[in-house]
Amino acid sequence: MIEIKFRGRGGQGAVVASEILGRAFFLEGKYPQSFSLFGSERRGAPVFGFLRVDDQPILLKCQIKHPDQVVLFDLSLADEKEISQELKPDGTILINTNREIGFFEGWRKFKIGLIHASAIAREVGLGDTFNMAMLGAYARLTNLIKMETLTEAIRSMAPSKVEKNIEAAEEAYKQTKIYEAKEPNPQ
Amino acid sequence: MKEFMTGNHAVAQAVKLCRTPLIAAYPITPQTPIYEKLSEWEATGVLKGIMMRTESEHSAMASCIAASLTGVRTFTATSSQGLALMHEMLHFAAGCRTPVVMANVNRIIAAPWGFWADHLDSLSQRDTGWIQFYCENGQEAMDSVIQAYKISEQVYLPAMVNLEAFLVSHFMEPVEIPDQDAVDHFLPPLDLPHKFDVEKPGFLMTVVSSELYRKYRHMAQVSMDSVKDVAVRVDREFKDVFGRGYGIVEPIAMEDAEVVIVTAGSITSTARLAIRSLREQGHSVGLLKIRLFRPFPNEALQQVLAGKKKIAVIDRNNSMGSGGIFCQELKAALVHSEDRPYIYNYIAGVGGTDVNPEVIQRIALDAMERSEPMDQPMWIMEE
Repeated sequence: MIEIKFRGRGGQGAVVASEILGRAFFLEGKYPQSFSLFGSERRGAPVFGFLRVDDQPILLKCQIKHPDQVVLFDLSLADEKEISQELKPDGTILINTNREIGFFEGWRKFKIGLIHASAIAREVGLGDTFNMAMLGAYARLTNLIKMETLTEAIRSMAPSKVEKNIEAAEEAYKQTKIYEAKEPNPQ
Repeated sequence: MKEFMTGNHAVAQAVKLCRTPLIAAYPITPQTPIYEKLSEWEATGVLKGIMMRTESEHSAMASCIAASLTGVRTFTATSSQGLALMHEMLHFAAGCRTPVVMANVNRIIAAPWGFWADHLDSLSQRDTGWIQFYCENGQEAMDSVIQAYKISEQVYLPAMVNLEAFLVSHFMEPVEIPDQDAVDHFLPPLDLPHKFDVEKPGFLMTVVSSELYRKYRHMAQVSMDSVKDVAVRVDREFKDVFGRGYGIVEPIAMEDAEVVIVTAGSITSTARLAIRSLREQGHSVGLLKIRLFRPFPNEALQQVLAGKKKIAVIDRNNSMGSGGIFCQELKAALVHSEDRPYIYNYIAGVGGTDVNPEVIQRIALDAMERSEPMDQPMWIMEE
């Protein structure tokens, strides 16, 4: 089973992204489970979307405390310590950022994917809606979902601007930079 | 056909499949997606029924009662404060013997305010004469709505299908949607023996004498008692057609269990996993799910718990001044049991707090270690 946590701000579409990725896994015959922590969902507030995926039905009806993967929509949402405590030791993190890998030295024990998804979204004409670009980058980083399945899921679930969202996802897929985890330096 | 959907949308699907001609509702979080989905289908013509957007839950229930009396299938969905506002009409629905079906998304009752899973909203309505089911996932919620119509329409009592906020209502999971033809066959059009129409005016809710009131109440009680058998039969028929059955209670790994964990709703699902790992660690722990709460399945529980020494009831609710309500009811059901089991009550998950496998294991191990009975409920707090 893989557990994924989406960290975003209200209005960024992190929850919708977790649902569309869930549907993509569903289309590939997996048993996903997608849910959010609800209540304070307003523009700008931190929002979490969760996704579990397995080859068999998932019985867990509880929160994800230590995800295998974190999808970080906004760098201001998490500090190094928080992510390090949350992610499983062999975890993977995908970050929406215009920074280079040197900035993330403290996270190099994890596999890291860097994508400037918000810039891609603006370029294809989506304005501030970059959640599908994040999913394209996720597909590239993890290799767990086929791009064509993701496209099908976006087509069936994206609330609007379907073709532009698909374009953003495909562009992000191409541009994602991947850095394998480094062994921590001996103290 | 299998689809990836939330528990709320699974409920909406069930209502559509049951061809319910009259839906009356008022939106409230976290039930609103049921309302929205049915509204959307009404607008696109997918839903053949009428969607009444009432000004309150009280009016929604009044509308369902009135429509039901004309002999049509009805539905409403609500949650928490909305259910509380319906309280008066809930008694009317049962008293008028209307087979209204409702989905209630279990959410905390204010104050303080919040949206989280908690069973207290529906348990507070336990004396209103409604059949009550508690579901552990979206699939069961969908199937229970279909079953609820079939049961209600045989006993002329309303039924409430309960699914927890977020943990069921907003969990997207693969859900098997039954074929329309199969549902049509399973649930034929409603044909009530008495119904109002404009050609045949009638009057209901007249003032009655004490004796008549008692007579009506007793008749309703006899019908309510019959639900235990009717629900088992309907569930079996459902399983024959659709391949899924739930029982009114479900015993899991009970044979040699030294401790039996008793759950309702979504905690059951997590507990299925928790007892597997407890068993792998060598602990003989069983699990008992209570799906039907009203009528309370005393006989079924007495039968499956015969010979058990320790029972740990997990309640996602608290009746202030008493304790967990499932535990109270279970204690009453077992009071004459020859085995005199120790029944421990754990208040866990109140306010939607997380109940993960570790919490359930802690509860099981705690019950296992105890050698004395304990009257006070134990609250599971943060580690």
